[in-house]
Amino acid sequence: MKLFTQYNRINIAASIIVFVVGSVVFYFVLRAVLLKQLDESLHTEQTEIVSYVQMHNKLPEVVNAYNQQITYVVTHEPVSGTNYYSDKTREGDGIEMEWMRKLVFGITVAGKNYRVTVTKSQVETEDLLQMVIIVGAGMIALILLAGYVINRMVIKRLWKPFYKTVAEVEQYQLAKQQALQLSVSGVSEFDLLNQQLTKMTDRAQQDYLVVKEFSANAAHEMQTPLAVIRTNTEALMQDEYVLQQHDKSIQTICQSVNRLTRLNHDLLLLARIENNQFPRQQKIELDKIIQQKTTELAELLASKKLRYQGYLEPVQISCNPHLAEVIVNNLLSNAIRYNKEDGIIKIALTPQQMIVSNTSLLPALEKDKISQRFYRHPDTKADGNGLGLSIVKQVCTVTGFTLQYDYQQGLHIFSITF
Amino acid sequence: MKVLIIEDEPSLNKAMVDYLHHQQYLCESVSNFHDALEKTEIYQYDCIVLDIMLPGGSGLELLRQLKDNQKSEGVIIISARNELDDKLTGLQLGADDYLTKPFHLPELSARIAAIIRRKNLQGNNIIRFEELQIDVQAKTVKVQDTEINLTRKEYELLLYFLVNRNRVLSKDAIASHLWGDDADLAENLDFIYTHVKNLRKKLLQHGAGDYIRSIYGMGYKFSLK
Repeated sequence: MKLFTQYNRINIAASIIVFVVGSVVFYFVLRAVLLKQLDESLHTEQTEIVSYVQMHNKLPEVVNAYNQQITYVVTHEPVSGTNYYSDKTREGDGIEMEWMRKLVFGITVAGKNYRVTVTKSQVETEDLLQMVIIVGAGMIALILLAGYVINRMVIKRLWKPFYKTVAEVEQYQLAKQQALQLSVSGVSEFDLLNQQLTKMTDRAQQDYLVVKEFSANAAHEMQTPLAVIRTNTEALMQDEYVLQQHDKSIQTICQSVNRLTRLNHDLLLLARIENNQFPRQQKIELDKIIQQKTTELAELLASKKLRYQGYLEPVQISCNPHLAEVIVNNLLSNAIRYNKEDGIIKIALTPQQMIVSNTSLLPALEKDKISQRFYRHPDTKADGNGLGLSIVKQVCTVTGFTLQYDYQQGLHIFSITF
Repeated sequence: MKVLIIEDEPSLNKAMVDYLHHQQYLCESVSNFHDALEKTEIYQYDCIVLDIMLPGGSGLELLRQLKDNQKSEGVIIISARNELDDKLTGLQLGADDYLTKPFHLPELSARIAAIIRRKNLQGNNIIRFEELQIDVQAKTVKVQDTEINLTRKEYELLLYFLVNRNRVLSKDAIASHLWGDDADLAENLDFIYTHVKNLRKKLLQHGAGDYIRSIYGMGYKFSLK
């Protein structure tokens, strides 16, 4: 649920309660005020009658108007006190019962006791009250509606900076090494949010750089010890007596150094691609690169009994020449390394795409894992280090190409769209 | 042939010196920028093996000074930094070759031999070993004046063996010499076996001696028994 909807629900519920309670209170207050007014006019009538009686010593003539009636009733006992009350009576010749306000008091005229009842119609008061209530309720509805509409329109605009920030954060990539650019909205809450977000991403960026530099530096630092191990092993190898005794150990050391060297080389390459250290772009004849590479590997293909089928159109792409070679090398190496005997390697090159497909003993790979670092299919026996496709993917990322994987009819298909 | 090794890692320095010494090079070694500068100013070498990161200064700076002083030594840079920029700068500054650590000692030896050959190419482009004659310019091989037909890989292999004669060469080292970055694709390195076998057969067929020996499944050695 949106914050706005949630807020609105609470707001409307509270408003309705307040308005209902307010209306009830208002009704009673207004009613009391109006009745008081009516009572005052009844009281005026009483005063008039009393003063008339004092002056003339007789009751005044009764002139009944539509909204006022006076009756005198003779009583034996004098009526004490003055009494106001409301009563429902049939009024005039109407059929409806209506609310009347009555004032009853006693008066003595020439020794006779009278009970005087002054009656005034309460209908007008009731009508007024009704009108006031209707208008009030209308106002309430109108205010609520207006509030809702205004909120809807205004809130959207007020939240704009928030959604802008969200969009910016969504676009943000740590690897791109660009600071998060958030505009100042002038609303302190959003500005605070933006400020903290910028601070956070800056910190993350710094940490990321440190980690990245660390891996590059670590790889660098490993080169020299590796060189020491390799050269010393090779020196050791020259002693045929030692070699005879320890040929397996020496071989194992050599192989491990090779693997480490390869790993180091690939990690460094990855770090350098990430760090954009191959900025130079130029027009490259990709078909020539593929042709050259496949010629170089022809022997190897033959020895592994692999059939190569190339469908190459002359294609020029814009890319760093070294990285273009890296892509071709890595895809082709994988196609060879994970192939099976009497297998096939196909390369199709069009101006839009390069598609490298190969047979393999491995089943379909997991699409979302292929470019993960160090991911290798659990069944693979070949000794790749699981960085080849990460490197291709990284090259694609910095060059704006896309890498896709598919598995169809026993062929692993890697396509790069330019 | 005089070679100067400039490398600050003592163990690496020593291994290089030992290996090259065995290949009949006269080796001197230094381990910092200052000593290196002094040596190169006083003496003349055929080839200098230069590490880029040195205590006291950059190998590239040393290279710049060498070239400013019109020194004609061949220079091969060995660096832990496989940075393309360093490589380009090095080659632009007049280095003859660039090797990334960790390298194979036989590879270093082959590169040094190649540089020296290039430097003294005038009239000296034939390498002889017993009845074998290799013309490095024409890239032809003769056994007692009969030319034998080798594939490019076989030729490279023979040259590599000759430069590193009497040394045990591991299959890894051979693979990385012949196939460079693709070496690890030559699975099980059986591939090398085929090439060595073919080369050996061709040499024997043309009456050359049997110089190539397999060493405990590790690698090969080219020697006069």
